[in-house]
Amino acid sequence: MTQTSSPIYYTRRLVYYVSELWRRREFIWFLAMGNFKARNASTTLGLFWWVLNPLLLSLVYWFIFGFIFPSERDIIYLMSGMFVFHFTAQSLTGGANAVLQNRALLTNLKFPRLILPLANLLEGLVGFGVSLGLLAVLQSIGNQHFPSAVDLALLLAIVPLHFLFNLGLGSITARLAVPFRDINNFIPYINRVWLYLSPIIWPLTLLESERGQSFAPYAEANPMFALISVYRSALIGDPFDPRMFLEFTIWALVLGVLGVGLFVRYEGKIARHL
Amino acid sequence: MTKPSIVVEDLYVRFRPYVERKPTLRRSLGRRRAPEEVVALNHVSFSVDRGEAFGVIGRNGAGKSTLLRCVAGTLRPNGGKAVVHGKTSTLLQLGVGFIPELTGRRNIYLGGLAAGMRKKEIDERLDEIIEYAELEDAIDRPMKTYSSGMFSRLAFSVAMNLEPDVLLLDEILAVGDASFQGKSMKAMRGLLDRAGTILFVSHSLKSVSEFCDRAMWLDGGRIAAIGNAEDVVAQYENSVSERAGE
Repeated sequence: MTQTSSPIYYTRRLVYYVSELWRRREFIWFLAMGNFKARNASTTLGLFWWVLNPLLLSLVYWFIFGFIFPSERDIIYLMSGMFVFHFTAQSLTGGANAVLQNRALLTNLKFPRLILPLANLLEGLVGFGVSLGLLAVLQSIGNQHFPSAVDLALLLAIVPLHFLFNLGLGSITARLAVPFRDINNFIPYINRVWLYLSPIIWPLTLLESERGQSFAPYAEANPMFALISVYRSALIGDPFDPRMFLEFTIWALVLGVLGVGLFVRYEGKIARHL
Repeated sequence: MTKPSIVVEDLYVRFRPYVERKPTLRRSLGRRRAPEEVVALNHVSFSVDRGEAFGVIGRNGAGKSTLLRCVAGTLRPNGGKAVVHGKTSTLLQLGVGFIPELTGRRNIYLGGLAAGMRKKEIDERLDEIIEYAELEDAIDRPMKTYSSGMFSRLAFSVAMNLEPDVLLLDEILAVGDASFQGKSMKAMRGLLDRAGTILFVSHSLKSVSEFCDRAMWLDGGRIAAIGNAEDVVAQYENSVSERAGE
């Protein structure tokens, strides 16, 4: 057993695994785009749903918090948070489904199983890119904030970390969903609670107000808090807080390594449970 | 006929059926009884040479599909090993990796890439695959509009164009109409002539004795007989008719 537990053995396995993933990169891309097209192939609006879904979601909350409970938040604030959150929430559901819905691939072909959550995430990333584009268009109409080179650099730094964070989470749900299918029923509730715990539909000033004070100390422990705050500095010109960036980097690295590690260690057993 | 192309050594696979049942709260929280195990493959060893067609027969649940999945590398055995030399293509199920909402053309790429081909290789063989599948203009229609014959032909065409060294087949010789069946048989003979290997699981005893050189009869996860295909099929038929006569 000494041979199989040595760091050299694990490093070799890791290098092999990553090179296999790289060799299969065309498959990952075709799978992601194939699912993306198939999902919208039968609807009249087709690919527009990628923009419409986050847009409609933001409009709903804008309506509720703009007209029913009026406040000073504008739609750009809502949308920036909503899009960032949507990408992560989707990777939780998608990770679980990626494994459960590709039974035929899993029982018939040999390939690194991480391809399935990866392809799902890539599909989400394309959608996320589209929503950020939408945000940029709306913002330039409103003349609110023109992103500078620094903002773009920040965006280029945070998106890969966000991707890694989501990959970790998606791998964990994919890992759990195989023996415990029930997880699929839980995820929407987890996402709902997480949405309300994150500064998306409530303003940051809430934390300083009397009502928010009891919750304030915990609010920043939420990785989504740090993530959205970094995105908002890049996208809508909120002040940049390097501490938030550092905090999220740690979250992404820890969850990414943990999630992928758990999944890869387990993947040989997946076929037994399908 | 040099070194064998598939070597299976002391393969042992067991399943614990309780994990396949939905775990109820009571069962999860209750005392764990020693789980009953089902042995799907019980120390099976054999090898298949290059250029050989090897058939596997047996009743339902004898372990045939489990064996194929171990050889394909998608199921990790509890003991022993299955080694395959060369590029493997599996036809355990038709159309693996296909997405019905997409066009046939798109699915050729998906199926080929899923099986390990590079996009460039598929580009080069695209026309050949389409022609072989006899699909013509239908190739740009979504696959959900295809008849089952068209679907199977495309799937088979993709699998054969991988130019595998080893082909793992599960019961699908009956692809398409009579003329396409003749064509697919020819393609598989061609593969054998190129010193390829075919491992073929089937309930159709006729096609096993006609097509395979050697065969193996699995019964309850053990090898009941192995050897010349016609002899093994005859032995199996005897046992089936004896059982029926009881």
